[in-house]
Amino acid sequence: MTGHIRTGTTATRAPWLTLRRREMFEGWLFVSPTVIGFLIFFLGPLIAVIIYSLSEWNLLSQQMTYIGTANYRDALIQNPDFWHVIRNSVIFAAGLVPLNMTLALALALALCRPGRGVVFFRTAFFAPVVTSAVAWAIVWKFLLQGEAGAVNQMLAVIGIDGPNWLREPDWAMAAVIVTRVLKMVGLNMILYIAALQSIPRDYEDAARLEGAGNWQIFRMVTWPLLAPSTLIIMVITTIGSFKVFDHIYLMTGGGPENGTLVLAFYIYEQAFEFFNVGYASALAMIMFAIVLVLALVQIMLRQKGSA
Amino acid sequence: MSSLKLRNMTKTFGKTKVIHGIDLDVLEGEFVVFVGPSGCGKSTLLRMIAGLEDISGGELWIGGRQVNEVQAARRGVAMVFQSYALYPHLTVRQNMGFGLKVRKEKPDSIARKVDEAAMTLQLEKLLDRYPRELSGGQRQRVAIGRAIVGDPKVFLFDEPLSNLDAELRVHMRAEIASLHRRLENTMIYVTHDQIEAMTLADRIVVLRDGRIEQVGNPKELYAHPDNIFVAQFIGSPKMNICSADALAPELTRAGIPMEGVEQIGLRPEHLRIVPDGGLINGQVALSEYTGGGSLLHVEMEGAGRFLVLSEGQEGPQPGDEVQLDFDTANLHRFDAEGRSLQAAREPVPA
Repeated sequence: MTGHIRTGTTATRAPWLTLRRREMFEGWLFVSPTVIGFLIFFLGPLIAVIIYSLSEWNLLSQQMTYIGTANYRDALIQNPDFWHVIRNSVIFAAGLVPLNMTLALALALALCRPGRGVVFFRTAFFAPVVTSAVAWAIVWKFLLQGEAGAVNQMLAVIGIDGPNWLREPDWAMAAVIVTRVLKMVGLNMILYIAALQSIPRDYEDAARLEGAGNWQIFRMVTWPLLAPSTLIIMVITTIGSFKVFDHIYLMTGGGPENGTLVLAFYIYEQAFEFFNVGYASALAMIMFAIVLVLALVQIMLRQKGSA
Repeated sequence: MSSLKLRNMTKTFGKTKVIHGIDLDVLEGEFVVFVGPSGCGKSTLLRMIAGLEDISGGELWIGGRQVNEVQAARRGVAMVFQSYALYPHLTVRQNMGFGLKVRKEKPDSIARKVDEAAMTLQLEKLLDRYPRELSGGQRQRVAIGRAIVGDPKVFLFDEPLSNLDAELRVHMRAEIASLHRRLENTMIYVTHDQIEAMTLADRIVVLRDGRIEQVGNPKELYAHPDNIFVAQFIGSPKMNICSADALAPELTRAGIPMEGVEQIGLRPEHLRIVPDGGLINGQVALSEYTGGGSLLHVEMEGAGRFLVLSEGQEGPQPGDEVQLDFDTANLHRFDAEGRSLQAAREPVPA
């Protein structure tokens, strides 16, 4: 007989599928579609692009050779085209972002309150956002033709001899910026309307009672209260402008004389026209880094603003 | 002298009329409270006085000047909002000095006036804080401070205490009353809380559906309500109302003239439980202990349920039969339209 003491009661073993485990399992089940999508469509390609960017891989030869950071050095140091493309992208963003945001804010201020025709105009300004990029580009290419274009014909009525918008290097960038703004301004308008409608009416009433006019109310009350939304809209629009591809592809094809050749289009050109997949992947990683920095700046500024 | 005059003021939103011809005189330095249930138009009327809503009809006079078409900022009024409306991106000092800055006053003058107002409201230590760093009561004081700084003729308060907890509400109520005594400005105060109205007001304006039901000092409204609505709105717990028929024989026996009386009213605090000889019999249906006593729900024979305030710790229990008595001077009699049939009376001093 050993020294074991029997208590006379049987210890009940906890079931394997505890409430905690079951909830965890259900949680993973719910997020699994997103997680699987993220792994297959984002993380997988990202890892592949990182590997490609460190290789020399010509799609035609189907030979992939590891070359370290040569593609990055090529882009950043040796190839003047890259900096020309970056310059174009910065010009595109610098033109588009302020124009888009100013116009969006002006429209939002005009259309944020209920009134006659407000719903019609909101719809009218938002409609281009959901319009096919191809249809939009075809219409604008038609309108911006040289002498036969409707824009130049209207300018001629007031005595202005308009340029061939999409064929002259000095004007092509301005034309793609303006047409892009007109297409996408509705989205920022909606975001600004939402932001304006979330500002309690009492602030405006209080300011008006204290003698502030419309401009003072906007400058001293509305604009500061819109700051968090403005920051988000600015970052989203800037990121979007760095990633612009379809609009350039359809309107100018990067021309004339590479005058509208922006980063996303340059990557496409290198990968699918010149088949330099390795170099294009390095460019894509650089673009990813630029967008990541912009996103991080936004997060930092938001945290600073809410502190 | 009249500080504020409203003459046949109306307000229409589209085809809906929400304010129906309001006539009112507010004296210089008077504390007037607009009280009424939600949707009665009290806040709309206040915003019309402030200039934040157009006046659809009638006349508004402030300080001897008709101001119907005068901009809000030029009417000489300041308003404290229910939400306080403190600008979240500005410090307390900047919030309080906002109006002066807009009016392009010199910075040293702004600083002096803000400091004076801050001292009045004991806000000196909070001047460099942002609204999010303040408690509800402190925000309320800053909102009042912002109103004081502009030195207005008339202060308007739009349910300023409704966002505070019960304890703080009592405290702030006392602060507002003491502020009125110190500043002696005309104040118009909107609330749906009749206790707030009773404790603060020199005169109460009871509103219902965009019309004035009665104007008077708190005691007058309590003792001599013009109609059943005012009788039930003023006083807590509210006045018991029942058909006169149910108690007519007993009341006639007691020598109370009942000609033309359709409904009668008795306040819970005016009913006494007596061992015998009471005018009305009933059975206790529910007893709510209130600390100092109990609020009894008494089912009356043929007269519905009455509320009765019973003092003392050992009151009747549910199921107990009770007899109730009251001083006939405290009986309110109403005609078929709910209008009071009280004899013509002397004004009750405030």
